[in-house]
Amino acid sequence: MTTRATRSPRRRTVIALMVVLIVIAAFVVRLVDIQVVNASDHISESQRLASGTEITLRGTRGDIVDADGSVLATSTLVYDVGIDPQLAAQGIKKRDADGKVVTGADGKPETIAWPDLAARIAAVTGQSTEEVTAIVVDKVAADPTSQWAQIARYVSTEVYRELAALDLPFLTFTAVPSRSYPDGAVAGNVIGFLNSDGEPLEGVEALQDSCLTATNGTLTYQRGRDGVKIPGTEVEKPAVDGGTLALTIDGDLQWYMQQLIAEETSRYNADWGGIIVMEVATGKIRAFAETATVDPNDPGASESEDRASRLARFSYEPGSTYKPITAATVIEKGGATHLSSVLVPSRKVFDNGAVINDSELHATERMTLTGGLVRSSNVAMSEFGELVDPQTRYDYLTKFGVGGGTALDWSGEPSGGFSAQPQDWDNQTFYTTTFGQAFTVTATQVASVYQTIANGGVRMPAQLVESCTEADGTVVTPDLPEPVRVIEKSTADEVGLMLENVFAQGTLADDVKIDGYRMAGKTGTAQITNGKGGYKKNLYFTSLVGYAPAEDPQYVVLTVFDEPKKERMSSANRSVYKKAMTQVLAHYRIMPSESETPLLPLTD
Amino acid sequence: MSASALGTDVLSSALPWSAPARSEDQDRRLHAVGSGAHTKRPTLMYGLAAVAGALAIAGAQMGLSILTTQGSYELKELTSQQRTVEWQKQILQDDVAGLSSPQYLAANAAALGMVTGQPPSYLRLSDGEVIGSGKAASSTSSVQALKKAAVTNSLVSGVPLVTDPDSSLDAGVAADTEALIDPAVPLAVADGLPTPKTH
Repeated sequence: MTTRATRSPRRRTVIALMVVLIVIAAFVVRLVDIQVVNASDHISESQRLASGTEITLRGTRGDIVDADGSVLATSTLVYDVGIDPQLAAQGIKKRDADGKVVTGADGKPETIAWPDLAARIAAVTGQSTEEVTAIVVDKVAADPTSQWAQIARYVSTEVYRELAALDLPFLTFTAVPSRSYPDGAVAGNVIGFLNSDGEPLEGVEALQDSCLTATNGTLTYQRGRDGVKIPGTEVEKPAVDGGTLALTIDGDLQWYMQQLIAEETSRYNADWGGIIVMEVATGKIRAFAETATVDPNDPGASESEDRASRLARFSYEPGSTYKPITAATVIEKGGATHLSSVLVPSRKVFDNGAVINDSELHATERMTLTGGLVRSSNVAMSEFGELVDPQTRYDYLTKFGVGGGTALDWSGEPSGGFSAQPQDWDNQTFYTTTFGQAFTVTATQVASVYQTIANGGVRMPAQLVESCTEADGTVVTPDLPEPVRVIEKSTADEVGLMLENVFAQGTLADDVKIDGYRMAGKTGTAQITNGKGGYKKNLYFTSLVGYAPAEDPQYVVLTVFDEPKKERMSSANRSVYKKAMTQVLAHYRIMPSESETPLLPLTD
Repeated sequence: MSASALGTDVLSSALPWSAPARSEDQDRRLHAVGSGAHTKRPTLMYGLAAVAGALAIAGAQMGLSILTTQGSYELKELTSQQRTVEWQKQILQDDVAGLSSPQYLAANAAALGMVTGQPPSYLRLSDGEVIGSGKAASSTSSVQALKKAAVTNSLVSGVPLVTDPDSSLDAGVAADTEALIDPAVPLAVADGLPTPKTH
């Protein structure tokens, strides 16, 4: 009795405690299950069941700006206008100035019929009244219960507000993100454009989409009966706007070059033309102009083949513009100097049987290396090229970027390259590689070669994108390859001096001279393959590339024409080159040279 | 209060609830706890205080709730104002879009007779020396920004130039071509014949 009496309450207490603990444990398990394990399911379910609203918060696609920060592409909204045909066909009740329904003589409310309303809509959208009337009439005829039809797409905010002011209950408006390009076709070839669904199709819009694209967010909240947000119920996951993409392009310079190349291309009756302006010290491209250029505001206005950049996607055998590479190679590996000379006929049959011609007939003379470049003699460059073995020449061309693509990583950009490895070069190729044949390059690669020579032998990666500034202010600069020392500074200086003599003593001297400035450069009249193993007759891809001021190089300018027909050789490029370089020097306030080009001997 | 009334020691005044129980212990060992007239008043006081507090809290909460609701109506009003202003901003932006584009500015400059593309010369202030060719600029522009405008911009196509309202980036050319194609059609005169204004 005493044991039962003393034990029983304690036992009961223990049992009760255990039961309580078990119950608590069960609750805890369930709590964790609800609050932690299945939390997200319950939240979404609660939002589905509750009188909540979920709104997608649209992030804005980032702007594209030029080197000065001028906006080249920005995001805006346009609107799609929809209509409820069933309601629209019934018309609306006529109201007087106080908003009261006007009743007719029979006591029934007077209505304004649909055709009258359509006229009001048409007056705003610019469509014809018949057109708008028909949209509803046809739709109702096809399906009397239809509740949606399209009145107009992509109308401006102004039109949207005017339509909204008509106060027609059956009109609906959907905002559609859209792109606006304030400068039109300026740099349109570089910027690219979006399709009507907002997907990037071309240019940096597509290449840099990861920088520009926005991440949508959501806003959920519960609403009272009158549509007002119930305070404290909002859950916001903010949208992240796209980053601002800065290009290296200078918009004003780009416009000038586009205008210039368009005028000159039509003047020389070329298929198309292009101009590249590259900064010597950095490899940044300041202008990348070509004909024809798309207006990204209205890509449909351009022919489909004109909507992308030809200049970035075209590769060709560069011809004479690559002769300076042979000069640099034989200076570094063949012991030559600008004074070394060879006996140059205008046509030579080499020991291995290869036949090389100069473009013009001339008397046989002893030409210096400088003379070979100034006269652009294929025979002279072939003879100098013999001083070094094919593998070395191949290595130098490769170091100068042949076959290596560019850092632009442009979509569809050809990497170019050699038609054969040096050990497989045939007798003719053995020589033609000394003057820019048997391999292909892009225009950007040609500009980079001259940037390398002008920059003391160091190639900076070609660059079109300056940076991406993310919405939170983080600045991301593109991953670029390291600068490459291609040739020694002394070699670059010597080649540079010879290129100055091309401009000072060549046939083009008078046509390209800009008063007060020392300039250096080279012409190229490249043959164009006819697709059948030969070259097109009398049609060339002409170029003129150079830099200024020669004593302190700042900018490389490359001009190209595809198949000019008024003047077929690189002489067609003289006026465009001079105008382009003049504008670059004036635009960047580059001081005239205070010295003259030292004239080097051309013959020995 | 009750302790001093019953003449017990001063310490017990700190224990007002136990004091009456202890004094009655001497009479009976067990009995129901009496609730004297003196103990009723404080209980009522506290009860009232508690109820008043609860009412105050409820009132304050209701007040706050009314304020937040009011605030959310204000917010709605302001949000709709903001939206209207944003629409206006968008409309204005659409209106001026493209007016700052280089081709429009250059066409305006060209309409004023300005030329571009001349080799620069510089005057050094320290010694007054002219650096560069020092030649006078030519009167012809290196590019024809208006007559041969080649860089299109659909945002300003047909927008009259500020410096020459009769021409625009592309319409000027279009008007000429039209006249060439069909010279029989006379140009429409909308605002009467232009007459010189003399005073």
